Parts: sequence; C-alpha cells; structure tokens
Amino acid sequence: MPPGGYFGRALVVDAADGTSQTLEIGEPVLRAYLGGAGLGTWLLHRLGPPGADPLGPDAVLAFTFSPLVGTPLTTSAKFAVVAKSPLTGMLTDALASSQFAISGKLTGHDAIAIRGRAPRLSTLIIDGPATRIADATHLAGRTAAETDAAVREELGRGWRVAAIGPAGERGPSGEPGVRYATISHDGRHAGRGGLGTVMGAKNLKAVAVRASARVATADPAGVLRAARDLRERSFGPATEKYRELGTLANLLTFNAISTLPTRNFQASSFEGAPDLAEQPAEPEAEAGSEPGEIAGMRKVARSGCASCTIGCEHIYRVGRGKKARVEYENVFALGPMCGVSDPGAVLAASARCDDLGIDTISAGGTIAWAMECAQRGLIDAPWLRFGDAGALLRVLDEIGDRATELGILLGNGSRAAAETVGSGSGSFAPHVKGLEMPGYEPRTLHSMALGLAVNARGADHNRSGAYEADLSGDLDRFDGGDRHVAAAIETEDRAAVMDSMILCKFLRGVFTDPFAEWASLVSDVTGWDMTGDELRETAGNIVMAKRAYNDREGWRPADDWLPDRLLNEPVTLPSGRVAALTAERLRAMIGAYYKARGLNTEGRPDPAIYKRLLLD
Amino acid sequence: MPSFAGVVLAGGRSSRMGTPKAALEWHGSTLLRRTTGILGRVTGGRVVVVRAAGQPLPELPGSVTVVDDPREGRGPVQGIAAGLAALRGEADIAFITSTDMPFLHPAFVRRVLRTLEEDEATDVALPFARGYRQPLAAAYRVTLAEAAERLVKEDRLKPAFLFEQCAVAQLDDDALLSDPVLDALDPDLDSVVNVNTPEDYDAARTRRAPRISVQLFGTVAKSAAKAGGLDGPGSPFAVRAATVGEAAGAIGLVFDRHVTAALNGDQITRDPEVPLAAGDTLFFLSADAGG
Repeated sequence: MPPGGYFGRALVVDAADGTSQTLEIGEPVLRAYLGGAGLGTWLLHRLGPPGADPLGPDAVLAFTFSPLVGTPLTTSAKFAVVAKSPLTGMLTDALASSQFAISGKLTGHDAIAIRGRAPRLSTLIIDGPATRIADATHLAGRTAAETDAAVREELGRGWRVAAIGPAGERGPSGEPGVRYATISHDGRHAGRGGLGTVMGAKNLKAVAVRASARVATADPAGVLRAARDLRERSFGPATEKYRELGTLANLLTFNAISTLPTRNFQASSFEGAPDLAEQPAEPEAEAGSEPGEIAGMRKVARSGCASCTIGCEHIYRVGRGKKARVEYENVFALGPMCGVSDPGAVLAASARCDDLGIDTISAGGTIAWAMECAQRGLIDAPWLRFGDAGALLRVLDEIGDRATELGILLGNGSRAAAETVGSGSGSFAPHVKGLEMPGYEPRTLHSMALGLAVNARGADHNRSGAYEADLSGDLDRFDGGDRHVAAAIETEDRAAVMDSMILCKFLRGVFTDPFAEWASLVSDVTGWDMTGDELRETAGNIVMAKRAYNDREGWRPADDWLPDRLLNEPVTLPSGRVAALTAERLRAMIGAYYKARGLNTEGRPDPAIYKRLLLD
Repeated sequence: MPSFAGVVLAGGRSSRMGTPKAALEWHGSTLLRRTTGILGRVTGGRVVVVRAAGQPLPELPGSVTVVDDPREGRGPVQGIAAGLAALRGEADIAFITSTDMPFLHPAFVRRVLRTLEEDEATDVALPFARGYRQPLAAAYRVTLAEAAERLVKEDRLKPAFLFEQCAVAQLDDDALLSDPVLDALDPDLDSVVNVNTPEDYDAARTRRAPRISVQLFGTVAKSAAKAGGLDGPGSPFAVRAATVGEAAGAIGLVFDRHVTAALNGDQITRDPEVPLAAGDTLFFLSADAGG
C-alpha cells in the first residue's frame, strides 16, 4: 500500500443478496492503473467472465475512484463507471463528477464492483464495509433525480446516491432497458455506453453510499500547495471558455468551419445553428450582437461540480419552471443532427433525456438515423422528419415508453436498429463499434477521424480528443497522415491519465508539461516517486489494457472503422473545397497507429503484453 | 478530376527593381509569401517555388516545395520547364506565375485552371488581360514539361515557341470576367498587375488593402468586445487587410497562442502572414475550440 491516496481494496458486491467481499488490490496494480477508468479496466479483466452477456447476472459493473479524489485539488471529485457495454459489447467507461465520488471512496474502497442480479428492483446500500439491498419497487418509473431525493430521504443525512432513470429499468417481462441508459447523481451523468442499462439489468435502481473512513495523503503540505496553485491556474485563460460560455460556444464555431454534423452527417454545417447558439453574455450582447434564440431562454445560473473552481455548468430555463444544463453535445445531437433548430424543442428534448435517464448523443444519433430511414421509406414512420421538433419529442417518448415497435427498435441504438431494418441502412448508421458519434465531423477533422475509429469505447470525444490537433492550426485538418496519427495517440494517452488519476479534462489547458505535472500531483498524494515518463508509459498501458479487453470479448479489425457514409460521401465547404476521408487514407492512418502502439497488423496486442499489464 | 498545383517563378535578376522582388515587404509579409499562399488556397497546398540555385528566399510555409533552376537566367520557358518537371507525378495541371503580382486573386487562378479542367484537349489556358498576353499568369498541363525542356535545349526561350507546339486557349477580358465570382471580386483584372520598378511597387503599396469580412467566435468575441475593438461581436463586419495578422490588428485582436483563424471556413491557421483577398471571410476562433 502506498502511504497515501488508496485503501488498497475493492468492495465486490453480489446484487442477488447484497452480500459482499473484499478484493485486495496490490500496489503494483494501483501504480499501473492509478484509478478511475484505468483501475476499472483492470477490474473488468479480473472479475468479468470472458464472453459474459453485459446484461446478464455475471456481468460486472464497477464504480472506481481515484487517488486524487477527496483531496483539495480542483476538479478531482470524479468517479468512473466501467462495464461491458450493451451497445458495443466492448469496454465502456464513463465519468461523472459529484460528491458521490468522495463518499464512495470514503466507504473505504478504491472501487465498488457489482455482480449478480437483485430479485426485484432494489437499492444497493453501502455503509462503509456493510452492504445490503433494499426494496425499490416503489421507485419504479421515477427519474434519477427523484430517486436520489427519495432514497436520501429514506436513509437520512450523509448519503449520496447514484441512480438510473426509468429508461434503464427492466421491462415488465424482464426485458432490458434502453441500451444507452445513464447513471446519474446530482444532475451529472455517467452517460455513454449504456451503463445505466447494465445497472438496470441488475435490478438496481440506485446505489447509496455513506462515508465512514479517511484516506491519507503522503505529503499534505505539498498537496495543499499544489491545490492552491492549480486553483489559481483554473481561473486563467485556459478555462475561460468553459467558465464564461460553456461548451455550447462550440456550436457556431463548428458550424463556421464545417465541423458540425447535420442531419445524420448529410451535411457539415447547419443553417439553423444561429438559432441554437449562445453568444457572449450581457452586457456585451447589448453592444450590437445578434444572440441566437437560445439566448432568450438564457442562463439562469452558472454552477460547478463538487470540488471544482471552473464552474462550467450553464443552466438554462426550459419552461414551466424547469431548468436544464446545456452542453454542446446535447444541443448538437438533438438539434443539428436531427435538423431541429427550435431551441425550445431542443432543450425540452435534452431535459426529456435527463428525465428518462438516457444518453443524449446516442439518442440524437439513433433518432437522426431513423429520420433518414423514414425519409428513404425504410421504416414506416412518415411523421419522423428531419427538422420536425414535434417528431423529435414524440419519438423520445416512444423510446422511453418502449411500448411501440419503433420505440423498442430505437432503444437498441443505431447499430442494432440498422441490423434489424437492413436495406443498406447500416451504411449511414452514425456509430463506431455501436456507440453513436459525437459532434465532430471526421471528414473535416482527420486526426479526430482516426481517434474515433480506433478508440476502445467507440465513437467518442472524451477518450480521444484528437480534434485539438485538427483545430490547432498546426497541421492540415483535411490531409490526415503521420502527424495526425501522432496527435491522436498523444491525446488518447493524455485522456487515459486524466480519466484515471482523475482530473477534469476542462483543466487540461492549464498544464504546460502535462505528464510531469500530473506525475508530481500523483506523487504528492501517494508518496510514489513518479516521473512524467513513467506516467506516459502508464497511459499507453491503460490504452492497451482496454484494447486487450475488447480483443478478449470478440473485437474484430473491422470494428476499428467509420461509417461508410463518411468514407464515400465527401462534403463541400463554402470555400469550394471538397473534403473527403477515403477508406484508403483511414486505413493508412490506422496502420500507422497500430505500428506506433506496438500492435500487430490486425490491431491486436501481443499476448506477451498481458504480463506487463498485470493481467495474466 | 485533375489535380492542381501552383508554380511561382522566383528567379530572375530583379534588375529594374534593384532588389530581389521575392523578398519585398507586403503588409507585414513578403510578395513571395503572398503569392505562394494565394496559389496554395486554390491548389490544396501544392506549390513549387523555382529559384536560382542558392538564391535566398524569404521564409515560406513548410508545405511549399523549393526547387533550384538548373540553368539560371534562361528566361520564363526555363522556369516553366523546371516548375513542370518538379510536378511530374504530383499534379496534372499547374498555374504558373511570377512573384511580382501582388493583387493576384484566387478567383482568377480558379477561372484560368477551370479552362483546362473542362477541356482535356487544351494544354495551356493563356489569359489575354489588360491588353497583354500573360504567360506568367497562365495554366499549363504538367505533361508540357518535356516540350519546354526541349525548347530550352534548342535555345528557343520565348513562351511563344511553346505555345506553337500545343493547344492554347486564349482568355480575353470578357472570357475571364464571364466568371461571376471573378467579375465581382476583381472586375479590373488587377490580378495581372505586376511590379517591376520601385515606382510600380510604391504605387501598388498605396492601394488600400482588400476588403474582407471578419467574424469572431467564442471567447475571442468576448475578449474583443471587452477591448472595444469592434462594433458588433457575433456578426460579420468589414475590415481592410491583406494578411491574417493585419486583420487581427485592424480589430485590436492580439493574434497569440490563444487564437486561431479559419479562412473562408477552410484551413485553420496560426500564421499571421496568410494572405487575404477581396471577398474573403475570416473567422477568428479560440485556440481551445472543442469539448
């Protein structure tokens, strides 16, 4: 056990009866995987039976904490949830920020892994080392926020609750929930990959935790100094965008540079973007700007996660006294991706997703695919048209209710739905590995195209931030080559560390020598003498461990690929440039990526790596 | 679809100018940098500069290829031969120009290139603009490299000899201006105005910089509004600027590591010397755009 930052153990709970046991985690594993997404990956290797049904009782759902959580370091109050995804059949890891991270860790564990299935809808209660399940059938159909409040009221003070919404619950005949359901706490979501579906399949409506332990830091004075320094830096220009504007500021920018996926990737800019856009807040806006209509619904508050000094949350009024947190990705997925420019409808759709407990990106992507299918006459839903705000809200209700054929079809995600519909609809299903694509146009962002294709989680902008290189001006974003490959690897490595130690990626711009600075933070907390070089190696190992897990679970080389549409249909920019991403170019970049990662030509890790990754 | 490239002939003695024309200052940049930038916009970045062996050149982007003219001082056909030879296997059609045309507009280059793109039987698209044939503002098939090299060996160094041996489409003012974009952005065909003497250069410098549209996004808009440098953040407004850096300066924007620019929504750059032309739209973005 290192002097600080860890308990050196995971709690392994059987949801069938609420019993638990302790799994000791040795220092070599902690040092190799840090925590969060990294430690979760190791736990899945260790505890998850190969080939297990992600929605079966054998599947493992891991809540993993990190060495930094509980320290005064800004943005460190985050936890990861890791499981085999019911959307992709591969590893998915999602992060959320809240007090749940602190209380969860202070139950005295570096991770809580859940196996088994409760006999009926239940709440898993973890009070330090004591675990039990309690009936939650009265909470069926409640939103995650309602469930959180109800469980806390039942249990009393000091509890933190992560819950699923109604869409994650199993149906009356035991059928699984919507396959992109989320796990939420305090309005924050572990959103991608269907982790809420996995939790629902275990008949768990909520997980409640209460702190009962303390964890030391190896160098308290050093941690405090680092925390003060980081706090100061978090007020600087590198976080200004998140603080002042929120990620919605991306919408007009991406629209201007043809990077805003529109109508299921049929276009890369959206004529309705200005209606959905945010502009600088008053009083600047009064100096002659033309804010989008969404600004009329305007922020009513700005907030932040637990232990965060950035404060990126921009809360909007969405009518009838309701408020919603607005991010670029949910506006992109439910707006331009579906051709909807009515800001009221987009915010209402986003709020509906939150109430149902489903991932907005997968919801928007799947609906956009269905709209195109309807347009082509491949599904019998002529009312489901691009740009129709009423249709967007109606189809979301059908997905949530799971009472219609269409709702059930779309609740399975775009890949599975396309397999059902056939007729070539898979060629424009907007996913990688089954995970719907975020709001970054690969044809005009070639580094990102690679990052999306090879990432273990599927199409994802948080595990591969390669768009940073494309948007930096340092390379040609239309001409993917070796430099783009290097950029994709670098951002993937950085994400692996940030998601494992854990710090929020919105903080990434404040570090000038990231790996060395992060190693210093981890060393202050744990007492390890960690170097930037070691941490860089750790990053690569975590990426490889994820890939090794996928390989074990049936990954095929064809899974590292992009939808055919993106390789066969160029987009024309307003400048006249025809932006294309050909299969040949993507294949070349993927080949270079495999080589640089030490994979074989098929993209599989050398079996010898399992020993190095402590997986043998 | 044929592939395009640009060739800039930067050799020559610049005897009338008295100083190398390639390095002449142009709105914070140089004439050669401007010319390569204008061509690169049309050709997707493929640009070759032909210089005399060892000739010093001003700083150029890494994407520009520089080749030495093996036989310096043999005139334009030699330069054409060297430029086309450098593009063998790399491109099908080249727009060839000299370094002394500061008002060359991308729409002019596009118009001329389109002639060869649309007519496979034509080898050269030769503007006859402002009363003169413009062999150094013309488009050539790369396959003409051998013919040009042969003429050099035969000491037949005028472009007219090359034109005798291939199919030439001559484009007069009306033909050029039949392109509505070119007609709107360069109605006087200033694209072919060249500067040969200090007087030419001084006269060219007294012209106002091209009128372009600027739009700001994200925190850049917010910062600029705070600095009071604009009338209307969030919406397009007009400035006069010949380079990205000059446009930033015109609105009081510090073009530092926190800012990037996207020209006509296309390439993203941090290079302040990227040239601008009339009708351009320039977006200034936060360098940390993205989630």
